[in-house]
Amino acid sequence: MTITSASPQARPAAGRLNSRRVRRPWVGRALGWVVMGLVLLVTLFPFYWMLRTALSSNAALATNPTSLLPVDASLNGFRRALGLTTRQESLEQGGFGATIDFWRYLSNSVVVATVVTVGQVFFSALAAYAFSRMRWPGRNAVFAVFLAGLMIPSIFTLLPNFVLIRDLGLLDTLPGIALPTMFMTPFAVFFLRQFFLGVPFEIEEAAMLDGASRMGTFFRILLPMAAPAVSTLAVLTYMTSWNDYLWPLLVSQSDRSRVLTLALGVFRSQAPAQAPDWSGLMAATLLAALPMLLLFAVFARRIVNSVGFTGIK
Amino acid sequence: MTTSHAGSRPTRRRIPRLRGDARNLPVAIAFLLPATIGFGVFLVWPAVRGIWLSFTDYSVFAPGQFVGLENYRRMVDDPVFWSAMNVTVQYVVINIGVQTVVALLLAVLMQRLTRSMWVRGIILSPYLVSNVVTAMVWLLLLDYQLGFVNELLHAIGLDRVLFWGDPDLVIPTIALVNVWRHLGYTALLIFAGLQTINPQLYEAAKVDGAGEWASFRRITLPLLRPYLAMVLIVTSIGSFQVFDTVSVATQGGPANASNVIQYYIYNVAFTRYDFGYASAMSVALLVVLSVITFAQYRMTRAGQSDVN
Amino acid sequence: MRKHIIALGVVPALFALAACGGGEPDENSSSTGGAEPVELSYWLWDANQQPGYEQCAADFTAANPNITIAFQQYGWDDYWTKLTASFVGDSAPDVFTDHLAKYAEFAGQGQLLALDDLIAADNFDTSVFADGLIDPWVFTDGMTYGIPKDWDTTAYFYNADMMEEAGFTAEDLMDLTWNPDDGGTFEQLVAHLTVDANGVRGDEAGFDKGNVAVYGIGINPSYDVTGQMQWANFTGSLGWDYLDENPWGTHYNLDDPGFQKTIDWFYGLSDKGYMPPAGTFSDETPTQIGSGKVAIGTNGDWASSQFFALDGISIGVFPGPVGPSGQRASIFNGLADSISASSDHQAEAWMWVQYLGSSACQDVIASTATVFPAIPSATDKALEAFAAKGWPVEAFSSYLDGGRTFLPPITVNSGEVYALVTPALEAIHLGQADASSLTAVNDQLNQIIGE
Repeated sequence: MTITSASPQARPAAGRLNSRRVRRPWVGRALGWVVMGLVLLVTLFPFYWMLRTALSSNAALATNPTSLLPVDASLNGFRRALGLTTRQESLEQGGFGATIDFWRYLSNSVVVATVVTVGQVFFSALAAYAFSRMRWPGRNAVFAVFLAGLMIPSIFTLLPNFVLIRDLGLLDTLPGIALPTMFMTPFAVFFLRQFFLGVPFEIEEAAMLDGASRMGTFFRILLPMAAPAVSTLAVLTYMTSWNDYLWPLLVSQSDRSRVLTLALGVFRSQAPAQAPDWSGLMAATLLAALPMLLLFAVFARRIVNSVGFTGIK
Repeated sequence: MTTSHAGSRPTRRRIPRLRGDARNLPVAIAFLLPATIGFGVFLVWPAVRGIWLSFTDYSVFAPGQFVGLENYRRMVDDPVFWSAMNVTVQYVVINIGVQTVVALLLAVLMQRLTRSMWVRGIILSPYLVSNVVTAMVWLLLLDYQLGFVNELLHAIGLDRVLFWGDPDLVIPTIALVNVWRHLGYTALLIFAGLQTINPQLYEAAKVDGAGEWASFRRITLPLLRPYLAMVLIVTSIGSFQVFDTVSVATQGGPANASNVIQYYIYNVAFTRYDFGYASAMSVALLVVLSVITFAQYRMTRAGQSDVN
Repeated sequence: MRKHIIALGVVPALFALAACGGGEPDENSSSTGGAEPVELSYWLWDANQQPGYEQCAADFTAANPNITIAFQQYGWDDYWTKLTASFVGDSAPDVFTDHLAKYAEFAGQGQLLALDDLIAADNFDTSVFADGLIDPWVFTDGMTYGIPKDWDTTAYFYNADMMEEAGFTAEDLMDLTWNPDDGGTFEQLVAHLTVDANGVRGDEAGFDKGNVAVYGIGINPSYDVTGQMQWANFTGSLGWDYLDENPWGTHYNLDDPGFQKTIDWFYGLSDKGYMPPAGTFSDETPTQIGSGKVAIGTNGDWASSQFFALDGISIGVFPGPVGPSGQRASIFNGLADSISASSDHQAEAWMWVQYLGSSACQDVIASTATVFPAIPSATDKALEAFAAKGWPVEAFSSYLDGGRTFLPPITVNSGEVYALVTPALEAIHLGQADASSLTAVNDQLNQIIGE
């Protein structure tokens, strides 16, 4: 795969093109930036709104709903989200009275998401290799079956999986939450296979000619070349697992296996007389998103570095 | 790629060939084993069980009795089921239509304008947040009374819009809220595909005098086809199964205007305890998704790669 | 690559960690003398009431040191999903707060423990509870499945300053009458309280119903067949009841012309501009009144603390108006504690339930001024506690004195009933249909509950 780090914006120095085209790329680029700017604004504003609401107090929110700055600013939202207020205090602030074991929920989420991501990405990559790099009898048929799995709506497997997890005695445990997605998802296999198909085979073939095993070329050649896709998949899987709501809701019965999204759901549905604890909810959201942001920052760098890798033509 | 004679058996060196080769089978099985276990136990077995359940009147607590096609007959006569399918299709069309077009635009912009990690990070950030939270923050932003958007409209002099409460607007609202959330993710997927296009092709096109639009149409789109196809298939399947937003924001209302099929199935299963009927509807949804996937796969020829 | 081999090692390590973390032993209080330590799980949905019940639990454990109570609170929306999941998963709570509209399904499926033998064996006196509270907890099989905790009614909270400005006194409010034809003095009140953006009241000339600043009456976004949060005070004073027989009726009366007229009248208040149109508010009446955009709102006594906590707004309460039947009326709902049939500690669970149903605990609840406990002496204490806080809640108990109280409709297959009626009512408020559409719904309901 040849991807250079040279910017695609480099224009050829040919003079005869510049005179005809120099204005149009400039306008196009400006327009592009305007669109990009709009998208960035719309993307970011709700996050700002979350921050602003988290720093406001609930009572003031009702009377002053649209001020761009926090109203009646205080850190109480965050204190409620972290479980640092007493029940009395939190009821007075418009929150609800239950206790929040924030750090435990956080660690539960981390464990589940990590196990699921590592397992799913790795096992799916193995399978994708088999589907794209090897010919064997029945390959296309088996892949079609895997692909068919993409179409199974999640609600379809929800109850039978729930009963299965119960029968395995894993209800209200973290492995119980992780198991169904820990091995593979059809999407992961599909995604990686599509990607592997686009990667030229010569390097691996050369290695195999030199006597390397399939496993060896998989680890030492294909995976590094596929690092952008694998990293992307890993990040996506982590996020999906982190944000999963309905399945953990059914499996988890108590604090010991409760993950962060459930805690957020708890904020939502506690609702004294149905008005949500907006500032607490938004504070909890921000706290929950923070690990994801840090994670992405780390992985984003990896992806950029991998993109700079040059291979042999 | 070195060639070999068809049917020749290497005698001096082990030269693996990309041909139908039964000797690959044991290695292939080794590679496939963990994924197949997961697939079989947590996808296939529940699916089979789900299909079986659709022919029974299973109600969570008591083992079900076989009732044949009764659930299916009930489904055909059920106006709420058809309304749910209708509502869901509308949702998917708006959601996927807007999302794919804008994501493609965004991916190209990211590719051409800036590789900045900041930009990519920002664009992806809504995906970090769960559906539950997305729904909550947009409930607040689009609220009739407290919402910032409505205040803005009011300030400009327009009428306030009942985003969540108007039966005609609620589906487009949910669709666009989910576009907000998934845009970055979709753009990222397409972006990953854009990475594999050889930049020298673009340079060559420039030398030949092609403008942005022409190189987009002639180079980007065709080479991107497998990825676009994959993105389209996967996102439309996911879109059909919209649930979290409806569950948090509208609970299927007002007056069933946002009662999408997955939510209806969930209600029938977990609040009315009629798993037999819920399974039957899930089977119907499965059939619909299969048809759509097959059609998309064929139409976009996603199985072929255009790398040449 | 090396990092993948490390990953291979990490996966099982994390797994083991998770499995171990999930299996930590429960804390057992070992200093209990002879009896084996038992931990009972107790579920409830109202976070406001949790402190009171935790106090009860502390008192209970002091008297029975080997039994501790572990509380689990889920919000209303999640509570029933989690409960069902727990029945299915064989991890049901030992004791939980139960609701009349929901318990029939559980009882029918054998998930609840029948309490009659236990009541007889311990000579538990069920007559201490207020009249009519324990009877609905007797299922179609004749067995009792819940011990009453508290009861609630609905009334109208109002913004006292707006009421004064509009020129109404407390006596006026107690004398309100209503009928489905012209709304009686109740509608006059609501119309006068409604103020449009130009300061014109709803009953004055030039009232602009498209531009209302303050609605006379708010509406809770809870559409269901009970009408508890919206119109039950009215339909109940018609001389009409939901079912031919309540509980366990087999025939709904939503096709009754008087009922349908009432429904049309009620939702029609929005068309007149006195009530917010559908979807205007997504929160309940406390928030609506708190926003200053609504003058009156109905709600149950359980919401008192939300209303009285509203900053800068003084709140009054008045009961439902007197209707054509000559009485004022309110739904009379009673919660109870049920025991799961699958509980491993049925004897201890029963002890806890008895305690919950005793004066000792109900007096504690009374003192928290959150709800009205089921035992009349505790109710009196609760009224005193409310009064001590300066919260005028006599309206809620006024129905017991010459008014009419009635149960919410209790039938089998309540889930399906709700699923049919809720969208139908929403459609009426949205103007997509009128109340005559309920006749067709009624036929469907009869089929569902008549089975």
